[in-house]
Amino acid sequence: MDTSSPSAFVNGALLRRYIGQKVRTVIQVIGSDTGSVVGKSTDDLQIVVRGSSPPNPLTTYLEVIGIAESDNSIRAETWTNFGNSFDPQNFNELCKLANGEFKHMFI
Amino acid sequence: TYSNPKSLLKISLGFPIRELQKMFSSSQFEPNSAFSGGGFMSSQPSQAYESSSSAAKNREFQGLVPVTVKQITECFQSGGEKSGLVINGISLTNVSLVGLVCDKDVSKVTEVRFTLDDGTGRIDCKRWVNETFDAREMESVSDGTYVRLNGHLKTFQGKTQLLVFSVRPIMDFNQVTFHYIECIHFYSQNSESKGQQVGDVTQSVSTTFQGGSNTNQAAPLNPVVSSQNDGNGRKNIDDMILDYLKQPACTARQQGIHIDEIAQQLKIPKNKLESVIQSLEGDGLIYSTIDEYHFKHVEL
Repeated sequence: MDTSSPSAFVNGALLRRYIGQKVRTVIQVIGSDTGSVVGKSTDDLQIVVRGSSPPNPLTTYLEVIGIAESDNSIRAETWTNFGNSFDPQNFNELCKLANGEFKHMFI
Repeated sequence: TYSNPKSLLKISLGFPIRELQKMFSSSQFEPNSAFSGGGFMSSQPSQAYESSSSAAKNREFQGLVPVTVKQITECFQSGGEKSGLVINGISLTNVSLVGLVCDKDVSKVTEVRFTLDDGTGRIDCKRWVNETFDAREMESVSDGTYVRLNGHLKTFQGKTQLLVFSVRPIMDFNQVTFHYIECIHFYSQNSESKGQQVGDVTQSVSTTFQGGSNTNQAAPLNPVVSSQNDGNGRKNIDDMILDYLKQPACTARQQGIHIDEIAQQLKIPKNKLESVIQSLEGDGLIYSTIDEYHFKHVEL
């Protein structure tokens, strides 16, 4: 077993705590360009995700795992389409819990 | 079916988690149908995860426990009992995880090996594929597939591995959110200290996860009590110990709290605690009670 490289659950506001570290989040896709996807975090902040080979086509929601580069951008290592009926509110609550009292269960 | 997934997961901390379990757990994992196809019989029968009250009362819990890899790495061997890891005083072997499949290895004919990465860690998995049912299920997953898997924890020569008996690709990604919330829920429902008698644990998650007031004889003992961890990192150990001992449930206990319990509840190794406890004693903030291992907070 190996817990050396966990990814922290983040939303827009939590991203800044993990700059330079591995994070995971789900965004609602607003637009995409070659090499980047712009999305809205589950707490309604804008996040830019850069990286090669995002899935094509993109569904409404997209999970990104990668390195936080700034308080609003991520360099993606893994992208997963999370479909069109994902509930961002629940995910947002999970982010808060996973960074609060229950953080030790995650990272 | 998930005709309206949005309405399914109304976790504004007010939605009974049993509803969620019914919607996701029962339709996703039917123990009977999972086993009827291939004739694979695990050495321990596993039931779908049911109400937490039965789980909490039964220390030899045979059902599926939703966990993160991080939780598995943190729990300790239950010495003396049959081989099994212990989380929150509950000996467990059957676990449920959600994560990404990596490094799938089909070089051996009788088994498929892979690693599951659930974002908190990675764990080695193995699935015997002697039966068509198992082989077919494994064909449907490949590297990068999000799966829900159920399996049996096995430790051999210090190495922990998951013997998987059920793997399903995730179709509705709300399940990913749900799984971690279920882990938190199970953990918070079952983090009682060892000596406490377990009463009726409330089923609904109408209480917030922070604070967690369940209906036990004594109030549950939370590792972190009041102030939120505002991203400043850990509180120092002194404060954690004092906060823990200051809880009404602790101050009510005449005999004091054993250092082992403090270590378990705060998830701090005992050796780290010992020196801090000595200095707290020296400062007159705590005192030892029935013996040198039990402590209480000095109330003024």
